[in-house]
Amino acid sequence: MKKIFTLLILLVSLVSFAQQTVKGVVKDPNEVPLGGVTVMIPDSSRGTVTDFDGNFSIQVNSGETLQFSYVGFTKQEVVISNQSLLEIIMAEDAQALDAVVVTALGIKKEKKALGYAVQEVEGDNLEKAKEPNFVNQLSGRVAGLNIKNSTDLFQNPTIELRGATPLLVIDGIPDRTLDIWKINSDDIESISVLKGATASALYGSVGRNGAIMITTKRGKKGKLNVSFNNSTLFQTDFIRVPDVQTTYGNGNRGVYAYVNGSGSGTEGGGWIWGPRLDQQDPTTTSGFYETTQYNSPVNPNTGELMPIPFTSRGKDNIKNFFETGIIQSNNVSVGWGNDKADVRLSLSNNYQKGIVPNTDLKNTSFNLAGTLRPTDKLTLNGSLTYNKQFTSNFPEVGYGPTNYLYNLILWTGTDVDIRDLKNYWREGQEGIQQRHFNISYYNNPYFQAFEYERGYNKTNIYGNASFNYEITDAISLRGRTGVNEYSLYRTYKEPKSYIGYGNKSRGNFSIAQTEYFDITSDLALHFEKKISDNFGITAEGAYVNYYRNSKNTSQSTDGLNVPGFYNLANNAGATLLGSNREEKETINSFYGFIDLEFYNAFYLSLTGRNDKVSTLPEGNNSFFYPSVSGSVVLSSLFEMPKWVSFAKLRGSWSRVSEGKIGSDPYDYILAYEKGTTWNGTPSTYFGSNLLSPNLEPETSDTWEVGANIRTLNNRLGLDIAYYQARDYNNLIYSPISDASGYSSILLNGNEFQRKGIELTLDATPIKNENFSWNTQINLSHYRRYQEEIYGDREQTEGYIRVGDRTDKIYTGVYQTNADGDVIFENGLPVSDPYDRFIGYDEPDLTYGILNSLQYKNISLSFLFDGRLGGLMYSNTNQKMWWGGTSKGTVNQFREDAVNGENTYIGYGVVVTGGSVSYDVNGTITEDTRTYAPNDVPVNYISFMQSTSNYHNKNYHYYKESFIKLREVTLTYQFNEAFLERTPFKSLDVSLVGRNLWLASDIPNVDPDSGVDNLQAPATRNIGFNINAKF
Amino acid sequence: MMKKYLIIFSLVLLAGCSKVEDLQNDPNRATQVSPDLLLTTIETTAFNNVSLNAALASRQLTFTDGTNQYQYYNWQRAGFGQYDDLKQVYKMIQESQRTDSQVYQILAKFFNAYYAIELTRVFGDVPYTEAVGAETGIYTPTYDRQELIYSSALDSLKAAGLELAQNTETIRGDVIYEGNKRQWQKLINSYSLRVLMSLSNKIDQTDIDIVGRFNEILNNFDQFPIFESNSDNAFLVYVDIQDNRYPLFNDNSLQTAYYMEQTFVERLQNYEDPRLFMIADKKPNASNLNVEDFSAYGGLYGSAPLSDNGSKAVSGEASRIKPRYYNNPVNEPSILMSYAELQFTIAEAAARGWISEPSEPYYKSGIAASLTFYGISEAEDYLNNPTIQLNSNEDLESILTQKHIALFLNTGWQSFYDQRRTGFPEFNVDGGGILNNGLIPKRFMYPQNESVNNPENLNEAITRQFPSGDNINASMWLID
Repeated sequence: MKKIFTLLILLVSLVSFAQQTVKGVVKDPNEVPLGGVTVMIPDSSRGTVTDFDGNFSIQVNSGETLQFSYVGFTKQEVVISNQSLLEIIMAEDAQALDAVVVTALGIKKEKKALGYAVQEVEGDNLEKAKEPNFVNQLSGRVAGLNIKNSTDLFQNPTIELRGATPLLVIDGIPDRTLDIWKINSDDIESISVLKGATASALYGSVGRNGAIMITTKRGKKGKLNVSFNNSTLFQTDFIRVPDVQTTYGNGNRGVYAYVNGSGSGTEGGGWIWGPRLDQQDPTTTSGFYETTQYNSPVNPNTGELMPIPFTSRGKDNIKNFFETGIIQSNNVSVGWGNDKADVRLSLSNNYQKGIVPNTDLKNTSFNLAGTLRPTDKLTLNGSLTYNKQFTSNFPEVGYGPTNYLYNLILWTGTDVDIRDLKNYWREGQEGIQQRHFNISYYNNPYFQAFEYERGYNKTNIYGNASFNYEITDAISLRGRTGVNEYSLYRTYKEPKSYIGYGNKSRGNFSIAQTEYFDITSDLALHFEKKISDNFGITAEGAYVNYYRNSKNTSQSTDGLNVPGFYNLANNAGATLLGSNREEKETINSFYGFIDLEFYNAFYLSLTGRNDKVSTLPEGNNSFFYPSVSGSVVLSSLFEMPKWVSFAKLRGSWSRVSEGKIGSDPYDYILAYEKGTTWNGTPSTYFGSNLLSPNLEPETSDTWEVGANIRTLNNRLGLDIAYYQARDYNNLIYSPISDASGYSSILLNGNEFQRKGIELTLDATPIKNENFSWNTQINLSHYRRYQEEIYGDREQTEGYIRVGDRTDKIYTGVYQTNADGDVIFENGLPVSDPYDRFIGYDEPDLTYGILNSLQYKNISLSFLFDGRLGGLMYSNTNQKMWWGGTSKGTVNQFREDAVNGENTYIGYGVVVTGGSVSYDVNGTITEDTRTYAPNDVPVNYISFMQSTSNYHNKNYHYYKESFIKLREVTLTYQFNEAFLERTPFKSLDVSLVGRNLWLASDIPNVDPDSGVDNLQAPATRNIGFNINAKF
Repeated sequence: MMKKYLIIFSLVLLAGCSKVEDLQNDPNRATQVSPDLLLTTIETTAFNNVSLNAALASRQLTFTDGTNQYQYYNWQRAGFGQYDDLKQVYKMIQESQRTDSQVYQILAKFFNAYYAIELTRVFGDVPYTEAVGAETGIYTPTYDRQELIYSSALDSLKAAGLELAQNTETIRGDVIYEGNKRQWQKLINSYSLRVLMSLSNKIDQTDIDIVGRFNEILNNFDQFPIFESNSDNAFLVYVDIQDNRYPLFNDNSLQTAYYMEQTFVERLQNYEDPRLFMIADKKPNASNLNVEDFSAYGGLYGSAPLSDNGSKAVSGEASRIKPRYYNNPVNEPSILMSYAELQFTIAEAAARGWISEPSEPYYKSGIAASLTFYGISEAEDYLNNPTIQLNSNEDLESILTQKHIALFLNTGWQSFYDQRRTGFPEFNVDGGGILNNGLIPKRFMYPQNESVNNPENLNEAITRQFPSGDNINASMWLID
């Protein structure tokens, strides 16, 4: 009410001033008219944009200020008295081009001063087209940052920055839990990605692979600011799902007759090599071929199952089983601030309903952040977040009988209609035996969804507190401490008759708990002085301590007494099974840096850090490493051609060492592991890895060069980076002869070279009064090579030789002759006893293409991204050929096999004489074999069951290349005139879509995640977003 | 004023810092243990040897979900995993020395010999004297000649048996004989007889006094006791506790894709062998027949093409294994060596004329022991059945055929290696499906990672043994 009153006053006051029309033209220093310049009156809602000829026209009151702003130029303000025609000459501003960016330890630096690659993503970009976690939203937006998204509910994407997992940093504090679900994207002000080791060298060993730095939002100076953001997306349908044949049903060799679902009939083996579906048969009452099935009625006289029609009633099983998923996020935040203090309070709630029935994820956060400036010299800062992630059931992932697609489509013929399985207990055996067409290999998907429940309950509390005190103008003392704490409680309810690999459950209940705590504290003395106009210096020395403690306990029953009663007390076994584990770890470090700046054109930065870690043996656990980086702003030094607005060269070198072996802080200690307890008698065993007595930290030396050029009045910008890293002294499990008693020895050895190139192109092809078009293209390419093999060995266990790319794929193949024809024996391909090279794993190019168009109040943005090249193994495609669901198996050979005829002749040769011999590496030393074409017909079904069609499908390694329409956002921003009549300061609504379209080389599978573990089908997400500020 | 606060701030910040030295002990694992904890590991590994692959290779079972390399004889490599077991033995010796006890070191001699034999019979020459030397810096052990391994293993076994008789310590952690040293002696000596018999093809071509050693054990029971009945059987009894269950319990494939092998079933049918009812299930198309009706059983021909077997299987003409093998969590014990095997081994020695006694009593006693193992108390009828009588004292075929039945899905790969040595019983390869040019392989190729991790020694071993290179049809010293 009060607000509306204020608005009314404002309206009245507006009317009461006499307004005048001011016209003008805006030009650049070369007198070229500038289109697209924003002209506005600060603290008002009035504004306009210059047209293509630089002209503008606006209503102004006398005494008001007009502000002109345009990217790459200094902001100009003109107070209006009685001018009516203005000519404004904008001054170019190299500073404004890049402004500042958050670097390691949360230190803000001018972009132009950086000697290494940093790319930023503004929080606004994450506001509308939501994903369940913010990392998925970074796909395609940063060159060199490769996000491989999972389609499964509540599964982490793979995050690779220049080929390795980067450090996550929240407000300057490293977060080694890498819990990407606890950060709400509405609380993110900006993300800056520090790409190389030099950039994050100050974080020490954990920063070796670069960092994703998150800066959270803070209260802004000014009036109380309330904002509300709602985003709701529906997972309406699928962009990729295994496309199976519907011509033949369950069974083997064309025969199907259900007896008991577990081996007494032909259904037990679980093949989909059964009879033809929908066969006309005039002798039956239905008119179709009939056989006994799992849902056959029982003949009351004989007690036997009665045949029913064998038809493709399950053609729509996918559609009928999966539900429409929902991804919804709501955020309300309140911010306020003045010169002395600011505060921001934010409440977020994310809800995701899975596409699998009875699965969901709730994620709630509460964040309070504030700053106090009690004196001019002292600043106190604090932030605390409470986050709760909760679900009573989310789907099990990975290939196997615990996977939904596995049970729903990959291993179920379409003679089974999923809707018939909703009643999932076998009659008379409720709670004991699930009802399904096959009860030895597969689970009824409904049984799985409603009875096999995996609960997850995690409470995160994290935050930081810091102070900064300016002792003198130049010297300040800074202290900061950040904590992460979580407690995780997971439950696993396994009903009786639940099927796992080689396991038919007798019912089980398991609990796993983790208590985690870490704390990072640092104290730094900071010196910063602009000695003269042409010389500035910044230096800092600091001490940091990191400590973490993690405790895990798990307990499980060994069978359940009362079915469906999930409590440890219901254990059917002799004792409960359980284990516990505790890990403690600390790092004590000193670090320092000096930044120098000369003539606003030369920048030099030196850093050094010493870590003492608890994760290496005493004596070798303290180590120092330096870095140096610099940049030259050419455009400040030389007269550049007119079309060059800004040009900079940069370069850096760093050495970073890592003193932790894998994820276990105690891996440098040799000890016994707990073995199997045999009927109450305990045991221990010794692991298969031995330790070198002198383990040292592993080290990476990285150098990087880059350039940033902006041209055509900043309409076109290019940033390019090339880097090379030499990883040496690597802590590797160097393989040794198994006959030595150990399969490997942990030592410092091997050397790798990583190199890559990243390119970001920004362009504004069109910008005028009503319409603008911005585009950004991100490209990256990465390779890793073996430079040295420990012990001067000829090759590694993966057959990689010195100079080779390390992503070479070797796999078991069939023998071929010199012409490449597969060799057959008895109609079947003959295996090669030696693994052979078939291709490379890494993609050649990772790309993202982002476009945003704005027309008046309407904006449209869309993002394509994907990868080119590289191979991935497809479990799904292999199993489809093996099991009989692949569409390619529907052919005459199959029909013949169903009729008992052996007609399939594999393309290849048979050996008619001679012999072959190999050396130990499998190189042929002598080959006198002679060949004739293969002419042995075999049964097509047997052939596929034995070969999965491997030799025709490149052993099921497929090109990983794909392009995805990742995101489309169409936003309407309500204009000021409308808003003035509402309580809103700003309001926009958007239609959003994610994962709308996919094209790929590989069939049946979305290659986005980079691996094929038969993940959930990739969904198309469509919804809306409302963003309001009061 | 402000400075004071700052000092307090800074102190609070640093007070919580932890020392590196305080955190350098692993609270989750022990660096020293008592040797009995390793003995349990070694026993539960060595005795846990139920192998479906062995049953396929030995023509006892068949598989229909694809062409199985063990059934169709196109297998290639085996692994060196048992060297890890040898390392556990090595650690047991270390811990035993540390705690000043002898008995575990004596048992270690048995296990060292056992694993060395297990390895060498698979490949031929393997690392032995330099094996398990990583802790002393030997990462690329040389390969020893098979003859040396056999000779050395026999010496270790003899020493172990004799030393055990003198030892007065208590064995703890023993889940096989619960610390009964006399029974351990019996196993060691009985096992020595097996090892000696496995050298039967080398009788005139080795310095090992095979026959002399065989008689030394057999004729000195007090000094070299051997198994006296099934109660001495060296076996691991399964328990219905997680990780202690019969390894095939709940095995999906076993109940859907494995079928009895036809020649095996026919043999039992011809002999009217009641063990058939304990091993096999009735074939689906004869489910109405009585369990004890021999015609209710059938099998698939091991060497027949997959498509033939597949069609026979779907038409219900083949028996599956008895459901207890996948339904019963404890089913039956896993056998390292049984009394029955010992009796057949002595019977074979008699048939070969190594000992002066007749073969028949041992042969019959072996059969009876096997029937007892299957819970069949009425052995008389079967023992008197004319079809199973020895044709002569030298009837090796009958002895090894009965041994093959007694070792159904137990005693690891023993049946396969007995057949390799003697040719009995005949394993069919004539069904048209074999993928090794109609041959039964004689060995496994060396693990491929040896060519990377130990190439010189591997190469030398291959060159000196197999002129045609490392392949599955090459003949090793043992069976030359």
